[in-house]
Amino acid sequence: MKTIWRLLSGPEDIGQSAYFWVAFAALIGFLFYYPRIISEFESSSIAFYLLNIPLALGLCLLWGYAGVLSFGQVAYFGIAGYVYGIVAGNMMGNPWGPLIGSVAGLLACAVVAALFGYFVFYARVQMWIAPILTLVFTLLLETFLGQTAGYQWRVGNVQLGGYNGMTGIPAFQLGDLVFFGYPFYYYVLVVVLLCFLSCRMFVSSRHGQVLMAIREDPVRTELLGYDIRARQLAAFVIAAVLAGVSGLLYVQWGNYITPTQVGLLQAALPVIWVAVGGRDSLIAVAISTYLLNWLTYSLSSSGNQYGLVIVGALLLVVMMFFPRGIIVTLGRELPRRGWRAVASEN
Amino acid sequence: MATILATQALAKRFGGVVATDNVTLDIMSGELRCIIGPNGAGKSTLFALLCGIHRPDSGNVILKGQEVTRLPAFERVRLGLGLTFQTNRAYHHLSVRQNLEIPIPPAGDDRAKGLQERYAYALETFGLDPRSGIRAGELPHDKLQWLEIAMVLAGGPDILLLDEPTAGLSPEETRKTARVLRHLNAAGLTIVVVEHDISFVREVARKVTVLHQGRVFAEGTIDQITAHDEVRKIYLGRA
Repeated sequence: MKTIWRLLSGPEDIGQSAYFWVAFAALIGFLFYYPRIISEFESSSIAFYLLNIPLALGLCLLWGYAGVLSFGQVAYFGIAGYVYGIVAGNMMGNPWGPLIGSVAGLLACAVVAALFGYFVFYARVQMWIAPILTLVFTLLLETFLGQTAGYQWRVGNVQLGGYNGMTGIPAFQLGDLVFFGYPFYYYVLVVVLLCFLSCRMFVSSRHGQVLMAIREDPVRTELLGYDIRARQLAAFVIAAVLAGVSGLLYVQWGNYITPTQVGLLQAALPVIWVAVGGRDSLIAVAISTYLLNWLTYSLSSSGNQYGLVIVGALLLVVMMFFPRGIIVTLGRELPRRGWRAVASEN
Repeated sequence: MATILATQALAKRFGGVVATDNVTLDIMSGELRCIIGPNGAGKSTLFALLCGIHRPDSGNVILKGQEVTRLPAFERVRLGLGLTFQTNRAYHHLSVRQNLEIPIPPAGDDRAKGLQERYAYALETFGLDPRSGIRAGELPHDKLQWLEIAMVLAGGPDILLLDEPTAGLSPEETRKTARVLRHLNAAGLTIVVVEHDISFVREVARKVTVLHQGRVFAEGTIDQITAHDEVRKIYLGRA
Protein backbone atom coordinates (compact mmCIF):
# COMPACT_ATOMS: atom_id res chain seq x y z
CA MET A 1 0.00 0.00 0.00
CA LYS A 2 2.84 2.32 0.97
CA THR A 3 4.64 1.52 -2.29
CA ILE A 4 1.52 2.23 -4.30
CA TRP A 5 1.12 5.58 -2.60
CA ARG A 6 4.80 6.43 -3.11
CA LEU A 7 4.48 5.67 -6.83
CA LEU A 8 1.20 7.57 -7.19
CA SER A 9 2.53 10.70 -5.55
CA GLY A 10 5.94 10.62 -7.24
CA PRO A 11 7.52 13.81 -8.57
CA GLU A 12 7.17 12.88 -12.26
CA ASP A 13 3.71 14.38 -12.68
CA ILE A 14 2.03 17.57 -11.52
CA GLY A 15 0.35 17.27 -8.13
CA GLN A 16 1.96 15.87 -5.00
CA SER A 17 0.31 18.07 -2.41
CA ALA A 18 -2.64 17.16 -0.23
CA TYR A 19 -4.62 19.90 -2.02
CA PHE A 20 -4.08 18.16 -5.31
CA TRP A 21 -5.37 14.85 -4.02
CA VAL A 22 -8.37 16.47 -2.35
CA ALA A 23 -9.22 18.20 -5.63
CA PHE A 24 -8.62 14.98 -7.55
CA ALA A 25 -10.87 12.98 -5.22
CA ALA A 26 -13.54 15.71 -5.46
CA LEU A 27 -13.37 15.62 -9.26
CA ILE A 28 -13.69 11.84 -9.39
CA GLY A 29 -16.51 11.97 -6.85
CA PHE A 30 -18.26 14.55 -8.98
CA LEU A 31 -17.82 12.47 -12.14
CA PHE A 32 -19.41 9.50 -10.37
CA TYR A 33 -22.28 11.65 -9.17
CA TYR A 34 -22.75 13.60 -12.41
CA PRO A 35 -24.99 11.12 -14.31
CA ARG A 36 -27.68 11.60 -11.65
CA ILE A 37 -28.20 15.17 -12.80
CA ILE A 38 -27.77 14.79 -16.57
CA SER A 39 -29.62 12.91 -19.27
CA GLU A 40 -28.50 9.56 -20.62
CA PHE A 41 -27.57 11.26 -23.89
CA GLU A 42 -25.35 13.78 -22.13
CA SER A 43 -23.67 11.03 -20.12
CA SER A 44 -22.97 9.27 -23.40
CA SER A 45 -21.29 12.43 -24.78
CA ILE A 46 -19.14 12.74 -21.69
CA ALA A 47 -18.21 9.07 -21.97
CA PHE A 48 -16.98 9.89 -25.48
CA TYR A 49 -14.72 12.72 -24.27
CA LEU A 50 -13.36 10.46 -21.54
CA LEU A 51 -12.75 7.43 -23.70
CA ASN A 52 -10.07 9.21 -25.72
CA ILE A 53 -7.94 9.73 -22.62
CA PRO A 54 -6.12 6.34 -22.58
CA LEU A 55 -4.97 6.92 -26.18
CA ALA A 56 -3.57 10.30 -25.17
CA LEU A 57 -1.97 8.90 -22.01
CA GLY A 58 -0.17 6.29 -24.09
CA LEU A 59 1.20 8.96 -26.39
CA CYS A 60 2.15 11.04 -23.36
CA LEU A 61 4.19 8.12 -21.98
CA LEU A 62 5.80 7.45 -25.31
CA TRP A 63 6.50 11.01 -26.40
CA GLY A 64 6.72 13.01 -23.19
CA TYR A 65 8.39 10.48 -20.92
CA ALA A 66 10.24 8.19 -23.35
CA GLY A 67 11.04 10.78 -26.03
CA VAL A 68 9.60 8.82 -28.98
CA LEU A 69 6.96 10.71 -30.97
CA SER A 70 4.47 8.42 -32.65
CA PHE A 71 2.17 9.93 -35.23
CA GLY A 72 0.34 6.65 -35.68
CA GLN A 73 -1.19 5.77 -32.33
CA VAL A 74 -4.62 5.65 -33.97
CA ALA A 75 -3.50 2.55 -35.89
CA TYR A 76 -3.73 0.63 -32.60
CA PHE A 77 -7.01 2.36 -31.78
CA GLY A 78 -8.30 0.98 -35.08
CA ILE A 79 -6.77 -2.48 -34.72
CA ALA A 80 -8.40 -2.96 -31.31
CA GLY A 81 -11.73 -1.65 -32.63
CA TYR A 82 -11.76 -3.86 -35.71
CA VAL A 83 -10.53 -6.98 -33.92
CA TYR A 84 -13.14 -6.47 -31.20
CA GLY A 85 -15.79 -6.04 -33.90
CA ILE A 86 -14.74 -9.25 -35.63
CA VAL A 87 -14.41 -11.42 -32.52
CA ALA A 88 -17.42 -10.11 -30.57
CA GLY A 89 -19.47 -9.92 -33.79
CA ASN A 90 -18.83 -13.57 -34.49
CA MET A 91 -19.70 -14.54 -30.92
CA MET A 92 -23.02 -12.70 -30.98
CA GLY A 93 -25.34 -14.29 -28.42
CA ASN A 94 -22.47 -15.46 -26.22
CA PRO A 95 -22.59 -13.35 -23.01
CA TRP A 96 -18.79 -13.47 -22.72
CA GLY A 97 -18.13 -12.68 -26.39
CA PRO A 98 -17.45 -8.96 -25.79
CA LEU A 99 -14.97 -9.72 -23.02
CA ILE A 100 -13.13 -12.21 -25.22
CA GLY A 101 -13.27 -9.68 -28.07
CA SER A 102 -11.75 -7.00 -25.83
CA VAL A 103 -8.88 -9.24 -24.76
CA ALA A 104 -8.31 -10.23 -28.40
CA GLY A 105 -8.31 -6.57 -29.46
CA LEU A 106 -5.69 -5.58 -26.90
CA LEU A 107 -3.62 -8.66 -27.63
CA ALA A 108 -3.66 -7.82 -31.35
CA CYS A 109 -2.42 -4.30 -30.53
CA ALA A 110 0.40 -5.67 -28.43
CA VAL A 111 1.49 -8.17 -31.07
CA VAL A 112 1.38 -5.71 -33.99
CA ALA A 113 3.16 -3.01 -31.96
CA ALA A 114 5.82 -5.50 -30.85
CA LEU A 115 6.49 -6.56 -34.46
CA PHE A 116 6.48 -3.04 -35.88
CA GLY A 117 8.45 -1.65 -32.93
CA TYR A 118 11.00 -4.42 -33.17
CA PHE A 119 12.03 -3.25 -36.63
CA VAL A 120 12.07 0.41 -35.59
CA PHE A 121 13.97 0.09 -32.31
CA TYR A 122 16.23 -2.89 -32.93
CA ALA A 123 17.37 -1.31 -36.20
CA ARG A 124 18.33 1.67 -34.00
CA VAL A 125 16.43 4.01 -36.31
CA GLN A 126 17.07 7.62 -35.36
CA MET A 127 14.20 8.87 -33.27
CA TRP A 128 13.22 11.75 -35.55
CA ILE A 129 12.24 9.14 -38.15
CA ALA A 130 9.78 7.39 -35.79
CA PRO A 131 6.91 9.86 -36.42
CA ILE A 132 7.19 9.30 -40.18
CA LEU A 133 7.31 5.51 -39.92
CA THR A 134 4.38 5.36 -37.52
CA LEU A 135 2.32 7.74 -39.67
CA VAL A 136 3.02 5.71 -42.79
CA PHE A 137 1.91 2.60 -40.93
CA THR A 138 -1.45 4.04 -39.97
CA LEU A 139 -2.02 5.47 -43.48
CA LEU A 140 -1.29 2.06 -44.96
CA LEU A 141 -3.79 0.56 -42.56
CA GLU A 142 -6.38 3.12 -43.64
CA THR A 143 -5.76 2.36 -47.31
CA PHE A 144 -6.03 -1.35 -46.67
CA LEU A 145 -9.25 -1.07 -44.68
CA GLY A 146 -10.68 1.33 -47.25
CA GLN A 147 -10.57 -1.28 -50.01
CA THR A 148 -12.36 -3.96 -47.99
CA ALA A 149 -15.80 -3.03 -49.34
CA GLY A 150 -16.32 -6.26 -51.30
CA TYR A 151 -18.28 -9.20 -49.99
CA GLN A 152 -15.12 -11.31 -49.96
CA TRP A 153 -13.78 -9.11 -47.11
CA ARG A 154 -15.72 -10.94 -44.51
CA VAL A 155 -14.43 -12.65 -41.39
CA GLY A 156 -16.98 -15.23 -40.31
CA ASN A 157 -20.25 -13.30 -40.16
CA VAL A 158 -18.66 -9.86 -39.97
CA GLN A 159 -18.16 -7.59 -42.98
CA LEU A 160 -15.15 -5.24 -42.85
CA GLY A 161 -17.17 -2.85 -45.00
CA GLY A 162 -14.57 -0.65 -46.74
CA TYR A 163 -15.07 3.07 -46.24
CA ASN A 164 -18.61 2.47 -45.01
CA GLY A 165 -16.99 0.83 -42.04
CA MET A 166 -17.97 -1.99 -39.77
CA THR A 167 -21.42 -1.59 -38.26
CA GLY A 168 -23.48 -3.38 -35.65
CA ILE A 169 -20.54 -3.94 -33.33
CA PRO A 170 -21.90 -5.36 -30.04
CA ALA A 171 -21.85 -3.30 -26.84
CA PHE A 172 -19.65 -4.41 -23.98
CA GLN A 173 -21.12 -6.92 -21.62
CA LEU A 174 -20.03 -9.15 -18.78
CA GLY A 175 -22.36 -12.12 -18.56
CA ASP A 176 -25.86 -10.69 -18.31
CA LEU A 177 -24.70 -7.19 -17.50
CA VAL A 178 -24.79 -5.06 -20.68
CA PHE A 179 -22.99 -1.72 -20.54
CA PHE A 180 -25.26 0.70 -22.30
CA GLY A 181 -26.42 4.19 -21.31
CA TYR A 182 -25.54 5.13 -17.72
CA PRO A 183 -23.72 1.85 -16.96
CA PHE A 184 -21.50 2.47 -20.00
CA TYR A 185 -20.55 5.87 -18.59
CA TYR A 186 -19.46 4.28 -15.29
CA TYR A 187 -17.60 1.54 -17.12
CA VAL A 188 -15.66 4.14 -19.15
CA LEU A 189 -14.97 6.22 -16.05
CA VAL A 190 -13.53 3.25 -14.15
CA VAL A 191 -11.40 2.07 -17.08
CA VAL A 192 -10.01 5.57 -17.73
CA LEU A 193 -9.31 6.12 -14.03
CA LEU A 194 -7.45 2.80 -13.82
CA CYS A 195 -5.41 3.69 -16.92
CA PHE A 196 -4.51 7.08 -15.47
CA LEU A 197 -3.48 5.73 -12.08
CA SER A 198 -1.45 2.90 -13.64
CA CYS A 199 0.38 5.34 -15.90
CA ARG A 200 1.08 7.60 -12.97
CA MET A 201 2.56 4.72 -11.00
CA PHE A 202 4.52 3.59 -14.03
CA VAL A 203 6.33 6.91 -14.56
CA SER A 204 7.51 6.96 -10.95
CA SER A 205 8.62 3.33 -11.05
CA ARG A 206 12.12 2.28 -11.96
CA HIS A 207 11.01 1.51 -15.53
CA GLY A 208 9.61 5.00 -15.87
CA GLN A 209 12.79 6.54 -14.53
CA VAL A 210 14.90 4.59 -17.00
CA LEU A 211 12.66 5.72 -19.87
CA MET A 212 13.20 9.32 -18.84
CA ALA A 213 16.94 8.69 -18.73
CA ILE A 214 16.75 7.28 -22.27
CA ARG A 215 14.82 10.37 -23.37
CA GLU A 216 17.54 12.57 -21.86
CA ASP A 217 20.49 10.67 -23.33
CA PRO A 218 20.12 7.26 -24.96
CA VAL A 219 23.85 6.58 -25.31
CA ARG A 220 24.60 7.51 -21.69
CA THR A 221 21.80 5.20 -20.57
CA GLU A 222 23.01 2.29 -22.67
CA LEU A 223 26.43 2.83 -21.09
CA LEU A 224 24.88 2.34 -17.68
CA GLY A 225 23.96 -1.18 -18.76
CA TYR A 226 20.44 -0.81 -20.17
CA ASP A 227 19.24 -2.40 -23.37
CA ILE A 228 17.53 0.77 -24.54
CA ARG A 229 16.02 -0.95 -27.58
CA ALA A 230 14.04 -3.31 -25.34
CA ARG A 231 12.99 -0.45 -23.05
CA GLN A 232 11.74 1.69 -25.93
CA LEU A 233 9.97 -1.27 -27.46
CA ALA A 234 8.22 -1.98 -24.15
CA ALA A 235 7.07 1.65 -23.92
CA PHE A 236 5.83 1.46 -27.50
CA VAL A 237 3.80 -1.67 -26.78
CA ILE A 238 2.31 -0.15 -23.60
CA ALA A 239 1.31 2.97 -25.55
CA ALA A 240 -0.24 0.81 -28.28
CA VAL A 241 -2.28 -1.15 -25.75
CA LEU A 242 -3.52 2.10 -24.19
CA ALA A 243 -4.53 3.32 -27.67
CA GLY A 244 -6.27 -0.04 -28.04
CA VAL A 245 -8.22 0.57 -24.82
CA SER A 246 -9.59 3.77 -26.37
CA GLY A 247 -10.35 1.93 -29.59
CA LEU A 248 -12.34 -0.70 -27.70
CA LEU A 249 -14.28 1.88 -25.72
CA TYR A 250 -14.97 3.78 -28.94
CA VAL A 251 -16.54 0.85 -30.79
CA GLN A 252 -18.43 -0.21 -27.66
CA TRP A 253 -19.74 3.36 -27.45
CA GLY A 254 -20.75 3.95 -31.07
CA ASN A 255 -21.11 0.33 -32.31
CA TYR A 256 -19.29 1.17 -35.55
CA ILE A 257 -15.85 2.04 -36.86
CA THR A 258 -14.63 3.31 -40.24
CA PRO A 259 -11.17 3.52 -41.79
CA THR A 260 -11.17 7.32 -41.31
CA GLN A 261 -10.58 6.55 -37.61
CA VAL A 262 -7.02 5.53 -38.56
CA GLY A 263 -6.60 8.26 -41.19
CA LEU A 264 -4.45 11.37 -41.28
CA LEU A 265 -6.85 13.71 -39.49
CA GLN A 266 -7.48 11.33 -36.59
CA ALA A 267 -3.73 10.58 -36.41
CA ALA A 268 -2.97 14.25 -35.86
CA LEU A 269 -5.51 14.79 -33.08
CA PRO A 270 -3.81 12.85 -30.25
CA VAL A 271 -0.56 14.70 -30.96
CA ILE A 272 -2.46 17.98 -30.57
CA TRP A 273 -4.18 16.91 -27.34
CA VAL A 274 -0.84 15.92 -25.84
CA ALA A 275 1.06 18.99 -27.08
CA VAL A 276 -1.61 21.42 -25.88
CA GLY A 277 -1.76 19.98 -22.37
CA GLY A 278 1.98 19.42 -22.02
CA ARG A 279 3.56 16.18 -23.05
CA ASP A 280 5.48 15.48 -19.86
CA SER A 281 2.50 15.47 -17.52
CA LEU A 282 -0.16 12.78 -17.48
CA ILE A 283 -2.73 14.86 -15.63
CA ALA A 284 -2.23 17.78 -18.04
CA VAL A 285 -2.75 15.47 -21.01
CA ALA A 286 -5.85 13.90 -19.48
CA ILE A 287 -7.40 17.33 -18.89
CA SER A 288 -6.52 18.73 -22.32
CA THR A 289 -7.81 15.59 -24.06
CA TYR A 290 -11.14 15.90 -22.30
CA LEU A 291 -11.48 19.63 -22.99
CA LEU A 292 -10.41 19.49 -26.64
CA ASN A 293 -12.77 16.61 -27.36
CA TRP A 294 -15.54 18.51 -25.66
CA LEU A 295 -14.66 21.62 -27.70
CA THR A 296 -14.57 19.94 -31.11
CA TYR A 297 -17.63 17.83 -30.40
CA SER A 298 -19.66 20.78 -29.11
CA LEU A 299 -18.64 22.98 -32.04
CA SER A 300 -19.42 20.38 -34.67
CA SER A 301 -22.70 19.29 -33.08
CA SER A 302 -23.87 22.92 -32.95
CA GLY A 303 -23.40 23.09 -36.71
CA ASN A 304 -20.10 24.97 -36.61
CA GLN A 305 -17.82 23.87 -39.45
CA TYR A 306 -14.65 25.27 -37.95
CA GLY A 307 -14.07 22.94 -34.99
CA LEU A 308 -10.93 21.39 -36.41
CA VAL A 309 -9.67 24.73 -37.73
CA ILE A 310 -9.92 26.10 -34.20
CA VAL A 311 -8.07 23.09 -32.78
CA GLY A 312 -5.37 23.50 -35.43
CA ALA A 313 -5.03 27.18 -34.62
CA LEU A 314 -4.79 26.29 -30.95
CA LEU A 315 -1.84 24.04 -31.75
CA LEU A 316 -0.06 26.93 -33.46
CA VAL A 317 -0.68 29.21 -30.49
CA VAL A 318 0.63 26.57 -28.11
CA MET A 319 3.75 25.96 -30.18
CA MET A 320 4.51 29.68 -30.26
CA PHE A 321 3.64 30.74 -26.73
CA PHE A 322 3.53 27.59 -24.60
CA PRO A 323 6.08 25.17 -26.07
CA ARG A 324 5.84 23.04 -22.93
CA GLY A 325 2.03 22.91 -23.14
CA ILE A 326 -0.56 25.22 -21.60
CA ILE A 327 -1.42 23.17 -18.52
CA VAL A 328 2.20 22.27 -17.75
CA THR A 329 3.19 25.94 -18.04
CA LEU A 330 0.39 27.02 -15.71
CA GLY A 331 0.61 24.10 -13.32
CA ARG A 332 4.32 23.42 -13.07
CA GLU A 333 6.49 26.08 -14.68
CA LEU A 334 4.78 29.16 -13.24
CA PRO A 335 4.68 27.97 -9.62
CA ARG A 336 8.26 26.77 -9.85
CA ARG A 337 9.95 29.63 -11.65
CA GLY A 338 7.62 32.64 -11.64
CA TRP A 339 5.87 34.14 -14.63
CA ARG A 340 8.71 36.49 -15.58
CA ALA A 341 11.16 33.66 -16.14
CA VAL A 342 8.61 31.69 -18.13
CA ALA A 343 7.53 34.70 -20.21
CA SER A 344 11.11 35.70 -21.03
CA GLU A 345 11.92 32.15 -22.12
CA ASN A 346 8.98 32.01 -24.49
CA MET B 1 48.60 -9.74 -13.47
CA ALA B 2 46.02 -10.74 -16.03
CA THR B 3 44.94 -8.65 -18.98
CA ILE B 4 41.49 -7.22 -18.32
CA LEU B 5 41.00 -5.25 -21.53
CA ALA B 6 42.84 -5.67 -24.81
CA THR B 7 42.62 -4.64 -28.41
CA GLN B 8 44.19 -6.37 -31.36
CA ALA B 9 44.96 -4.40 -34.52
CA LEU B 10 41.87 -2.25 -34.01
CA ALA B 11 41.01 0.02 -36.94
CA LYS B 12 38.21 2.47 -37.70
CA ARG B 13 37.84 4.97 -40.50
CA PHE B 14 35.18 7.62 -41.06
CA GLY B 15 35.03 8.22 -44.80
CA GLY B 16 38.58 9.09 -45.78
CA VAL B 17 39.72 9.82 -42.22
CA VAL B 18 41.55 7.06 -40.39
CA ALA B 19 40.56 7.63 -36.77
CA THR B 20 42.04 4.47 -35.29
CA ASP B 21 44.81 2.66 -37.09
CA ASN B 22 46.02 -0.78 -36.05
CA VAL B 23 45.86 -0.14 -32.31
CA THR B 24 46.98 -2.98 -30.08
CA LEU B 25 46.68 -2.37 -26.35
CA ASP B 26 46.91 -4.50 -23.23
CA ILE B 27 45.44 -3.13 -20.04
CA MET B 28 46.33 -5.20 -16.98
CA SER B 29 43.89 -5.77 -14.15
CA GLY B 30 44.51 -3.16 -11.46
CA GLU B 31 46.38 -0.81 -13.79
CA LEU B 32 45.93 2.96 -13.97
CA ARG B 33 46.75 3.86 -17.55
CA CYS B 34 46.73 7.27 -19.16
CA ILE B 35 46.23 7.76 -22.86
CA ILE B 36 47.50 11.04 -24.21
CA GLY B 37 47.89 12.54 -27.64
CA PRO B 38 47.24 15.76 -29.55
CA ASN B 39 43.74 16.73 -30.70
CA GLY B 40 42.47 14.34 -33.36
CA ALA B 41 44.86 11.58 -32.30
CA GLY B 42 41.92 9.17 -32.01
CA LYS B 43 41.62 8.95 -28.24
CA SER B 44 37.87 9.39 -28.01
CA THR B 45 37.29 7.11 -31.01
CA LEU B 46 39.35 4.45 -29.27
CA PHE B 47 37.10 4.74 -26.22
CA ALA B 48 34.00 4.57 -28.42
CA LEU B 49 35.35 1.35 -29.95
CA LEU B 50 36.20 -0.09 -26.53
CA CYS B 51 32.73 0.48 -25.12
CA GLY B 52 30.77 -0.37 -28.26
CA ILE B 53 29.42 3.02 -29.39
CA HIS B 54 31.21 2.37 -32.69
CA ARG B 55 31.99 -0.93 -34.37
CA PRO B 56 35.56 -1.26 -35.68
CA ASP B 57 36.23 -1.91 -39.37
CA SER B 58 38.74 -4.56 -38.36
CA GLY B 59 40.49 -5.90 -35.27
CA ASN B 60 39.15 -7.15 -31.95
CA VAL B 61 38.25 -5.95 -28.49
CA ILE B 62 38.71 -8.44 -25.68
CA LEU B 63 37.19 -7.77 -22.26
CA LYS B 64 38.04 -10.13 -19.38
CA GLY B 65 39.17 -12.77 -21.87
CA GLN B 66 35.92 -12.57 -23.81
CA GLU B 67 35.72 -11.41 -27.40
CA VAL B 68 33.29 -8.46 -27.30
CA THR B 69 33.92 -6.78 -30.66
CA ARG B 70 30.36 -7.43 -31.84
CA LEU B 71 28.62 -7.04 -28.48
CA PRO B 72 26.37 -4.01 -28.01
CA ALA B 73 27.49 -1.42 -25.46
CA PHE B 74 25.09 -2.41 -22.68
CA GLU B 75 26.37 -5.98 -22.65
CA ARG B 76 29.95 -4.77 -22.25
CA VAL B 77 28.78 -2.62 -19.35
CA ARG B 78 27.19 -5.69 -17.78
CA LEU B 79 30.56 -7.43 -18.09
CA GLY B 80 32.09 -4.71 -15.92
CA LEU B 81 32.95 -1.77 -18.15
CA GLY B 82 32.15 1.82 -17.19
CA LEU B 83 32.70 5.03 -19.15
CA THR B 84 32.41 8.79 -18.73
CA PHE B 85 32.30 11.07 -21.73
CA GLN B 86 34.53 13.94 -22.81
CA THR B 87 31.63 16.38 -22.59
CA ASN B 88 29.67 15.89 -19.41
CA ARG B 89 26.71 13.63 -19.94
CA ALA B 90 25.08 13.35 -16.56
CA TYR B 91 21.31 13.78 -17.00
CA HIS B 92 21.12 17.55 -16.61
CA HIS B 93 17.31 17.67 -16.44
CA LEU B 94 17.00 14.97 -13.81
CA SER B 95 17.73 15.31 -10.10
CA VAL B 96 21.02 14.22 -8.52
CA ARG B 97 19.09 11.43 -6.80
CA GLN B 98 17.67 10.18 -10.12
CA ASN B 99 21.10 10.39 -11.75
CA LEU B 100 22.53 8.15 -9.06
CA GLU B 101 19.58 5.75 -8.94
CA ILE B 102 19.43 4.98 -12.64
CA PRO B 103 22.63 2.87 -12.81
CA ILE B 104 22.01 -0.82 -12.06
CA PRO B 105 23.61 -1.55 -8.69
CA PRO B 106 25.86 -4.63 -8.55
CA ALA B 107 24.21 -7.80 -7.23
CA GLY B 108 24.47 -8.41 -3.49
CA ASP B 109 27.43 -10.71 -2.95
CA ASP B 110 30.85 -10.10 -1.38
CA ARG B 111 32.20 -8.59 -4.56
CA ALA B 112 29.29 -6.14 -4.64
CA LYS B 113 30.16 -5.00 -1.14
CA GLY B 114 33.62 -3.90 -2.24
CA LEU B 115 32.17 -2.13 -5.28
CA GLN B 116 29.66 -0.31 -3.10
CA GLU B 117 32.43 0.83 -0.78
CA ARG B 118 34.22 2.43 -3.72
CA TYR B 119 31.02 4.17 -4.71
CA ALA B 120 30.35 5.38 -1.17
CA TYR B 121 33.91 6.66 -0.92
CA ALA B 122 33.55 8.61 -4.18
CA LEU B 123 30.25 10.15 -3.06
CA GLU B 124 31.75 11.28 0.21
CA THR B 125 34.98 12.66 -1.20
CA PHE B 126 33.22 14.44 -4.04
CA GLY B 127 30.64 15.85 -1.60
CA LEU B 128 27.60 14.50 -3.46
CA ASP B 129 24.32 13.87 -1.67
CA PRO B 130 22.64 10.83 -3.25
CA ARG B 131 19.23 11.98 -1.98
CA SER B 132 19.47 15.50 -3.37
CA GLY B 133 16.48 16.68 -5.39
CA ILE B 134 18.52 19.43 -7.12
CA ARG B 135 18.59 19.15 -10.90
CA ALA B 136 22.01 18.00 -12.03
CA GLY B 137 22.17 20.90 -14.51
CA GLU B 138 22.09 23.33 -11.59
CA LEU B 139 25.20 21.87 -9.95
CA PRO B 140 28.51 23.73 -10.17
CA HIS B 141 30.84 22.41 -12.86
CA ASP B 142 33.11 20.40 -10.56
CA LYS B 143 30.21 18.59 -8.91
CA LEU B 144 28.68 17.86 -12.30
CA GLN B 145 31.92 16.29 -13.55
CA TRP B 146 32.14 14.20 -10.41
CA LEU B 147 28.48 13.26 -10.58
CA GLU B 148 29.07 11.48 -13.87
CA ILE B 149 32.00 9.55 -12.38
CA ALA B 150 29.87 8.66 -9.34
CA MET B 151 27.02 7.50 -11.60
CA VAL B 152 29.29 5.11 -13.39
CA LEU B 153 30.75 3.87 -10.09
CA ALA B 154 27.21 3.22 -8.83
CA GLY B 155 26.99 0.50 -11.47
CA GLY B 156 30.00 -1.23 -9.91
CA PRO B 157 32.42 -1.46 -12.85
CA ASP B 158 35.69 -3.40 -12.73
CA ILE B 159 37.27 -1.18 -15.34
CA LEU B 160 36.59 2.52 -15.65
CA LEU B 161 37.26 4.53 -18.81
CA LEU B 162 37.41 8.29 -18.21
CA ASP B 163 37.54 10.71 -21.13
CA GLU B 164 39.13 13.95 -19.87
CA PRO B 165 37.68 13.86 -16.36
CA THR B 166 39.38 17.11 -15.35
CA ALA B 167 38.22 19.24 -18.28
CA GLY B 168 37.30 22.67 -16.92
CA LEU B 169 38.33 21.88 -13.33
CA SER B 170 40.54 24.16 -11.22
CA PRO B 171 44.01 22.91 -10.14
CA GLU B 172 42.63 22.16 -6.68
CA GLU B 173 39.68 20.20 -8.11
CA THR B 174 42.01 18.40 -10.49
CA ARG B 175 44.17 17.29 -7.57
CA LYS B 176 41.11 16.06 -5.73
CA THR B 177 40.04 14.05 -8.79
CA ALA B 178 43.53 12.55 -9.00
CA ARG B 179 43.40 11.63 -5.32
CA VAL B 180 40.06 9.84 -5.75
CA LEU B 181 41.25 7.96 -8.82
CA ARG B 182 44.41 6.83 -7.05
CA HIS B 183 42.38 5.62 -4.10
CA LEU B 184 39.89 3.75 -6.31
CA ASN B 185 42.78 2.20 -8.20
CA ALA B 186 44.42 1.10 -4.94
CA ALA B 187 41.07 -0.48 -4.01
CA GLY B 188 41.32 -2.67 -7.10
CA LEU B 189 39.59 -0.69 -9.85
CA THR B 190 41.30 -0.71 -13.23
CA ILE B 191 41.26 2.80 -14.71
CA VAL B 192 42.05 4.10 -18.17
CA VAL B 193 42.11 7.90 -18.50
CA VAL B 194 42.32 10.04 -21.59
CA GLU B 195 43.84 13.31 -20.48
CA HIS B 196 45.49 16.48 -21.75
CA ASP B 197 46.73 17.83 -18.46
CA ILE B 198 50.29 16.52 -18.14
CA SER B 199 50.57 17.44 -14.46
CA PHE B 200 47.48 15.33 -13.80
CA VAL B 201 48.93 12.47 -15.83
CA ARG B 202 52.15 12.74 -13.86
CA GLU B 203 50.18 12.57 -10.64
CA VAL B 204 48.13 9.47 -11.39
CA ALA B 205 49.64 7.25 -14.05
CA ARG B 206 52.36 4.67 -13.91
CA LYS B 207 52.08 3.82 -17.57
CA VAL B 208 51.24 6.16 -20.43
CA THR B 209 50.24 5.39 -24.00
CA VAL B 210 50.69 8.10 -26.62
CA LEU B 211 48.35 8.07 -29.61
CA HIS B 212 49.19 10.00 -32.75
CA GLN B 213 47.21 9.97 -35.99
CA GLY B 214 45.23 6.99 -34.78
CA ARG B 215 48.29 4.86 -33.99
CA VAL B 216 50.07 3.88 -30.79
CA PHE B 217 53.07 6.16 -31.05
CA ALA B 218 54.84 5.39 -27.79
CA GLU B 219 54.25 3.59 -24.52
CA GLY B 220 56.11 3.79 -21.23
CA THR B 221 56.35 5.48 -17.86
CA ILE B 222 55.58 9.17 -17.65
CA ASP B 223 59.30 9.97 -17.35
CA GLN B 224 60.14 7.92 -20.43
CA ILE B 225 57.35 9.59 -22.34
CA THR B 226 58.23 13.15 -21.41
CA ALA B 227 61.88 12.42 -22.24
CA HIS B 228 60.94 10.95 -25.63
CA ASP B 229 62.08 13.43 -28.31
CA GLU B 230 59.46 12.54 -30.92
CA VAL B 231 56.65 12.72 -28.35
CA ARG B 232 57.84 16.15 -27.24
CA LYS B 233 57.74 17.24 -30.84
CA ILE B 234 54.24 16.02 -31.73
CA TYR B 235 52.54 16.49 -28.44
CA LEU B 236 54.29 18.84 -26.12
CA GLY B 237 55.20 21.17 -28.98
CA ARG B 238 58.89 21.22 -27.99
CA ALA B 239 61.84 19.72 -29.73
